[in-house]
Amino acid sequence: MAEHRVPGDAPPAEGLGRVLVALYGVFALAAGARAAVQLATRFAEAPLAYLLSAAAAAVYLAAAAGLLRGGRAGRRTALVACVVELTGVLVVGALSLADPAAFPDETVWSGFGQGYGYVPLVLPVLGLLYLRAQGRAQKSPPPKSPPKSPPPKSPPS
Amino acid sequence: MTTALVVATSVVAGLLTAAGVASTAARRRTGLLHLVLAGVLEALLVVQAVVAAVRLAGGTELPETATFLGYMAGALLLPVAGVLFARTETSRWAGTVLAVPAAAVAVMVWRLLQLWEAGSG
Repeated sequence: MAEHRVPGDAPPAEGLGRVLVALYGVFALAAGARAAVQLATRFAEAPLAYLLSAAAAAVYLAAAAGLLRGGRAGRRTALVACVVELTGVLVVGALSLADPAAFPDETVWSGFGQGYGYVPLVLPVLGLLYLRAQGRAQKSPPPKSPPKSPPPKSPPS
Repeated sequence: MTTALVVATSVVAGLLTAAGVASTAARRRTGLLHLVLAGVLEALLVVQAVVAAVRLAGGTELPETATFLGYMAGALLLPVAGVLFARTETSRWAGTVLAVPAAAVAVMVWRLLQLWEAGSG
């Protein structure tokens, strides 16, 4: 899998990263199952909300996969997914409170993730913090003073 | 779908969540206790699914059958996925990895009960 890792690549998720993957997985499942049911049974009622649920599920899945795989591509995927999520939950949360009529049915992001214990609001922040910590860990150890060149041999006098 | 079963399920799910968090706090990996709790949880969920399936086949009408089945399938999947995923985690975070789906199940069974009672009430 990640055998040909270049130095500087993120490792596949482990430890705390796995907890995040589990959380993202649960939310991908929750949002995805909900969106599938809604799209299949009553798409016409609130297409925007249902498509949004589906998009949210896809983003959660991308974040989970990105974190799990690691590597430069995985890290970037997870980063983009987290930013999209954070934007989504903030924009949709604000809109759903400002104009409830536009969101007749709940989505994961309605009311800043109210229906899901506000976890959708916290999750992208945790993801971004984790990615940042991971990025920092990679930069270390900081380059030490350049290796000294062997002292020039003094020509025999 | 009975309230007693839902209470039992959410209690076991809560215990599994607590056991998972505790093993992380104690800097230990998951052990037999977690496996047993996850097994009991899964068994309770299977019983619930079978009861629900029998009643649905017997003509019980739900306002949102598709949603109910989706939640049921998701709940059945979570403990298994959680155990498999936690077993591959070699650090102390394995417990928390397992606690996440367990907590999700604890919430989902109550939502399932809501969906069920909307039909039978």
